[in-house]
Amino acid sequence: MGRTDGARVLILAIESSTPRSSVALAERDVVVASASLGVPQRHGEFLGPALQFCLEQAGASVGDVTGVAVGVGPGLFTGLRVGIATAQTFAAARSLPVVGLSGLDVLAFRSRHVGRLVCTALDARRRELFWAFYRQAPGGMQQVAEPQVGDAGELAAEIAAQGGDCLVVGDGGLRYGDELAAAGADLAGPADAWPDAADLAQLAVPRFLREETHEPQSLQPIYLRRADARIGWQERGRMHGGAG
Amino acid sequence: MLVLGIETSCDETAVGIVEDRFAVRANVIASQIELHAPYGGVVPEVAARAHLELMLPTIDRALVEAGIGLSDLDGVAVTSGPGLVGALLVGVAAAKGLALAGDLPLVGVNHLRAHVEAAQLQYGELEPPLLALVVSGGHTSLVVMDGDGSFRQLGATIDDAAGEAFDKIARFLGLGYPGGPEIDRIAREGDPAAVAFPRAMANDGTYDFSLSGLKTAVIRYLRKLEAEGTEPHLADVAASFQEAIVDVQVDKSMAAARAEGIERMVIAGGVAANTRLRARMQAACDDHGIRLLVPSIGLCTDNGAMVAASGANLLTAGVTADLGLAADPNLPLAGRADAASAGGGTTRSGPGRAG
Ligand SMILES: [Zn+2]
Repeated sequence: MGRTDGARVLILAIESSTPRSSVALAERDVVVASASLGVPQRHGEFLGPALQFCLEQAGASVGDVTGVAVGVGPGLFTGLRVGIATAQTFAAARSLPVVGLSGLDVLAFRSRHVGRLVCTALDARRRELFWAFYRQAPGGMQQVAEPQVGDAGELAAEIAAQGGDCLVVGDGGLRYGDELAAAGADLAGPADAWPDAADLAQLAVPRFLREETHEPQSLQPIYLRRADARIGWQERGRMHGGAG
Repeated sequence: MLVLGIETSCDETAVGIVEDRFAVRANVIASQIELHAPYGGVVPEVAARAHLELMLPTIDRALVEAGIGLSDLDGVAVTSGPGLVGALLVGVAAAKGLALAGDLPLVGVNHLRAHVEAAQLQYGELEPPLLALVVSGGHTSLVVMDGDGSFRQLGATIDDAAGEAFDKIARFLGLGYPGGPEIDRIAREGDPAAVAFPRAMANDGTYDFSLSGLKTAVIRYLRKLEAEGTEPHLADVAASFQEAIVDVQVDKSMAAARAEGIERMVIAGGVAANTRLRARMQAACDDHGIRLLVPSIGLCTDNGAMVAASGANLLTAGVTADLGLAADPNLPLAGRADAASAGGGTTRSGPGRAG
């Protein structure tokens, strides 16, 4: 019903690519409802009820939603797949456009007012980080180079190569703070450590307005790592009929 | 009543649509066999990535095959366990997206139970008590459906699944992947009594299985021949290996049927396609006056129609899950069809939709 009103823009945002998962509902650039969970590994159980909660609190029905924004990583593979799968089927079922955004971009968006070089860095586990560099540009933050994966030493070397004058944002910065600070970086606090669906929604809304959107099927996760054939062979033991 | 079922517990991305609990309207399986073939087995991260890529196209194909739209559905069922957790999570998340978007009831289904209930799509209402042997690359389990419609696991493999053993031995014999069909094929030319491989746990009084010892015995036998400079007779080795597996499965199935006083049996799972297992089980069932139900291959291997059938049964019994449904890699097989827990460990089964 809401969609017959051409002016209505109601975006459902899902971000579950890090240990902090969140959902939000934004009416144009105003976030009207949001929910987040800081317990890792529960993304799959959290997203559905949280989406329901946001719709209910905003007094909106499923039919009022005009677009779906989702975080596509890089991050925790399982979490980002859960977010994308949910976003894809929801959007496909309602014939809605989607926008997929990198968690690194979403983190940078939150630091858009700091007026200096920003490095967003997420903990990639296995003693590595995912990172990207951003500069302030008209209308937002501009990524300086392609996102990368590597260890703290490699990131510290890049920061030093940039003259050291940058702000590192994200849980990767928190975890490897000493090494990065030694390279001259300043570290943002834990409040900015993970990409959030409310920021994701705000960053995505202009794209929906400009119709820079995609079909649900075209959403691609950003893994930055090849599937490791050695991962999870132990897990196979769990499938032999369950615990019963 | 139209129910869509999603299955992503292992290496098949599958979506089925079932009408009124018994009629298959669509059963689309996007196999990942080629992706895993280079590794000789299923790689969980590779499977999870492929599930996400294949999920939406597979749902679309199923809807097209059934000639319906999402708005025609009465429910969405999904395998919530057991299986590979990363793989399960993709299907569960996709099911929730559909259920939320279409305001449809969500049903969590136990994968093993769905394998058994697939038989209703071919044979109609299943009459309990019923014994089921579920054998595949992921499981080897003996299951009973009791008179009250509840499911009980009598036993399961304590190490490798049968299909996994077939894969590993096939690789050792230089045959292709998946190994089951290859071994089945060349074993037809061989003598099942040529080599006396061990029948692990055959007479231990349990309904559990063990296959790792057999696998080791076959490999040791081949290495011994190699050391002696003797060429193994591949057909004989394959036939003897296969016979050792089939012997134990048939014997334990018949022991279970006798002990439980059961006159109907289902074999399900990918390994149910094995011609020697089918023939031997049929002969044993004939001897014991047991009616054997063997669903067609498309209903035996992992598929979405079986999940839709199981989901339709649960939905009819008023069992649904809420959007908090968890994927549980170790989901136990237990619970009555009309109890909340039967929804596949849907611990938060919502009374909101039930009844
Ligand atoms: Zn299976």
